[in-house]
Amino acid sequence: MKLSRGEGRRAHRDAHTLAGAYAMDAISGRDRATFERHLAGCEECVREIASLREATARLGSATAVTPPARLKERVLAAAAVTRQRPPETAGAEPAAHAGYLGAAARRGAWLRAPAWRRLRLRPRLVLATAAVAAVTAVAAGGTAVVFGLANGSMRQQLDRAQAGSQQIAAVLTARDARMMTGPVAGGGTVTIVMSHSRRALVFTARGLRPLPASRGYELWLVGPGGDRPAGMLPGVSHGMTGPVIASGLHRGDRLALTDEPATGSKRPTAPMMLDVPL
Amino acid sequence: MTATGSPDPGDPARREPGPGAGADLAAQIGLVARGDAAAFDAVYEQIAAPVFGIVRRVIRDPAQSEEVTQDVLLEVWRRASSFDSRRGSAMAWVMTMAHRRAVDRVRSVQKESDREWRGAKADIPYDEVLEAVESGLERERVRRCLSSLTELQRESVTLAYYRGYTYGQVASLLGVPAGTVKTRMRDALIRLRDCLGVG
Repeated sequence: MKLSRGEGRRAHRDAHTLAGAYAMDAISGRDRATFERHLAGCEECVREIASLREATARLGSATAVTPPARLKERVLAAAAVTRQRPPETAGAEPAAHAGYLGAAARRGAWLRAPAWRRLRLRPRLVLATAAVAAVTAVAAGGTAVVFGLANGSMRQQLDRAQAGSQQIAAVLTARDARMMTGPVAGGGTVTIVMSHSRRALVFTARGLRPLPASRGYELWLVGPGGDRPAGMLPGVSHGMTGPVIASGLHRGDRLALTDEPATGSKRPTAPMMLDVPL
Repeated sequence: MTATGSPDPGDPARREPGPGAGADLAAQIGLVARGDAAAFDAVYEQIAAPVFGIVRRVIRDPAQSEEVTQDVLLEVWRRASSFDSRRGSAMAWVMTMAHRRAVDRVRSVQKESDREWRGAKADIPYDEVLEAVESGLERERVRRCLSSLTELQRESVTLAYYRGYTYGQVASLLGVPAGTVKTRMRDALIRLRDCLGVG
């Protein structure tokens, strides 16, 4: 639609008076879209909105209330399994790579230790309620980025996540849930949340070396109860694997990981790339 | 102290950001953009209370507020790389995100009971909206600046910002033409901005 000069000016002025409502999100979805189109061509408006938002931010900060402590655990835990958006660069693909945990692993508070590290989680404050939320989101088809499900095999992984999500949630929220994180021989970092009361663990990994299609990673529970396969890992999506659940945990078990034929093996046929006492 | 308690008199302005706080937050968000988990921890400490405060103020339901707060904080982690200090302060970036999310949540629920707000009474004691403030000085300043507005300006801002109403809904609640509310909102924010010495 082409506007005459007068109409254009009036439209501009009308749009301009919306700045206050817009800065307070006090406009409907349709008005918002219209105003944002206007903003795209009005640098002055952008500056004004920015300055008004400094004021609204203060209105907001004035209501500050410390949230319950459990929120922090959930947020930090969720961040640890959430891919960050890469910076926007001119002409760049909406990058799928985002080495989200890479830097965190090198600098992060949790993952700093070179060797396996146990974190005792306070009962009921399990880090993992965040992960539960994440899993639930996955199950609902919502937050596809969580757990690195953002690619072609997403549907598949989503279904898998859905199937396991309740079981996973049960582990993550268990009173005795513990998180461990550590390196994999051959590359990558693994994070495990384990509950002996649930006799199960949730396994996620990042940065595992990619395998040819004919091979796959297999998890093992190794211990006094015998050595048994605990499942093949799903394909790596942008460096992220899992979450998968391994159940049937016994006292004294160790968790192992090997590189096996894609169809899986009955017994480990390759060297352990991971051997964690549980 | 409970979450809704008044500020601890023995601990004056504990949460009042120091002079360099804004710049610190911006720098820390820069580190978060590079995946720095320790920096995110520090960012959390600075923004969790304001975010939770405004989200709870708008949404009211505690469980939903916690959920939305978590989303917002995680969004800060995810989108840290898109923060640009040339376009505003870090706190404004965070609070804009928080408020938008809270309002979107309320509106999606509101769609189902669209008529409800029409019946709502237009009494908005703005003391009440500031009841749960932890930062005494900050609250005082905001309160003072809100008092400097005309009644219509103040009601428009309070209903819109703290209750999440659209200007159309505010107009209907106050029985004033929508165009008037629109301009009052802008005037009010300009006045607040100048009074608070920001922007």
